[in-house]
Amino acid sequence: MPSDVQSNTSLPFLDVSDPAFSIRSQAVAKARDGSWCARTPYGLAVLRYDDVQKMLRHPKMRQGSYRWPSHNDVTGNFARWWENMLLSQEGNDHARLRRMANPAFSPKLITSLKPRFEELANRLIDDFAPRGECDFIAEFTEPYATGVICDLLGLPIEKWRDLADIAGDMGLALGVTFKQDLPRIEAATQRIFAYAEELVEHRRKEPSDDFIGTLVKANQDRSQLSDQELLDMIVLAIFGGIDTTRNQLGLAMVTFIEHPDQWALLGDNPDLARAAVEEVMRVRPTITWVTREATEAFTYNDLQIPQGTTVHLFSQSAGSDPAEFPNAEFDITAKRSPHFGFGGGTHHCLGHFIARGDMTEALKLLARRLKNPRFNGNAKWLPDSGNTGAVTLPIAFDQA
Amino acid sequence: MKIKVDLDACLQHGQCVIAAPEIFSFDDDGNLQWKAAPDEALRDDAEAAADACPEQAIIVE
Repeated sequence: MPSDVQSNTSLPFLDVSDPAFSIRSQAVAKARDGSWCARTPYGLAVLRYDDVQKMLRHPKMRQGSYRWPSHNDVTGNFARWWENMLLSQEGNDHARLRRMANPAFSPKLITSLKPRFEELANRLIDDFAPRGECDFIAEFTEPYATGVICDLLGLPIEKWRDLADIAGDMGLALGVTFKQDLPRIEAATQRIFAYAEELVEHRRKEPSDDFIGTLVKANQDRSQLSDQELLDMIVLAIFGGIDTTRNQLGLAMVTFIEHPDQWALLGDNPDLARAAVEEVMRVRPTITWVTREATEAFTYNDLQIPQGTTVHLFSQSAGSDPAEFPNAEFDITAKRSPHFGFGGGTHHCLGHFIARGDMTEALKLLARRLKNPRFNGNAKWLPDSGNTGAVTLPIAFDQA
Repeated sequence: MKIKVDLDACLQHGQCVIAAPEIFSFDDDGNLQWKAAPDEALRDDAEAAADACPEQAIIVE
């Protein structure tokens, strides 16, 4: 008879709620060797590539991160937004909102933005390159990720510092210290909603065809897009685009510093930049787990999964699973199975074309202009689980 | 109008089903089905589906 998740003490237990827990630790690798899944304080963790792939689009699963605030015993404005925005919706409401958001993130649009990405990246590198050192987060990934979003959404670039700070503080909600960081998260949430309201008011007076202008037009018919949905969508587009790309590019630099031959290879072969983005996201995804929830009870691999169980699909652990990647060492020339850094299925990351496009251009230019990058003092890190990344990353390099 | 799907590239995310439900659907086993020659009136939907596909596996002719 299949056994139940919670009572099955033969399953390994991973205390992922401990801020000191690392998703890249031996404990996770050992658990993965012995078992396809582990118990955690939030529910079940799926550790192996094959099972992550199956569970990601399992018909008895829905998106599960809407429960994240309640798992952390948190309520408030952030929780209200998080539990209601696009990612947390299912079925017809999700489809309606997704169809509305899709055009602003289409691959055609992104291709036309490439020269702007390049210009922005070069300008930022110009500012710090002569010094031979920088804080890679404060001086590159943060202004870059934020600048791209300002450009895409039609926001004034002067606003970037403010938006980057807001996104950084809101991003704390997606780590395991959510509850203790709540005052900062709530203050940032309040600021971003005030800004979204300001943008809407402005676009109502001066209609435009950009992302926000289009949503404001849709909102004229409240049954198509309600006032709250309008604000929630704007906040998602701003926050979602800044926080993840900032973190992922920082993780890319860390990975390359640890693999100097690969950086040199990329510098000589800019055409590898696109593959480099995928390879970085396989070995060091900023989103270390993707969340699902069982919509009804079912049995999987002889394990009974009760209705309502939260299931964390460990993208980090799947990406280094030796069963799928026998030679798992970071290699930007290797042909790889798809990673799960953008999730998958109905809730596949909306902004992935832009993220892939802007990170490709950034890595291309960075590898050409910064040679021999190395750590230069202590980096500050978010916990190594949930949505992770460096908060500060001092590096030194030789200018090309 | 003709619709082709590169099933080697397709990862069955279902973004096309959201973007163009009159052309794309999943059967009971979760496999993607689509109308190979839908009505011309659905061209905008078909192109929206091709754009939305994360793997860029849909070709509209």
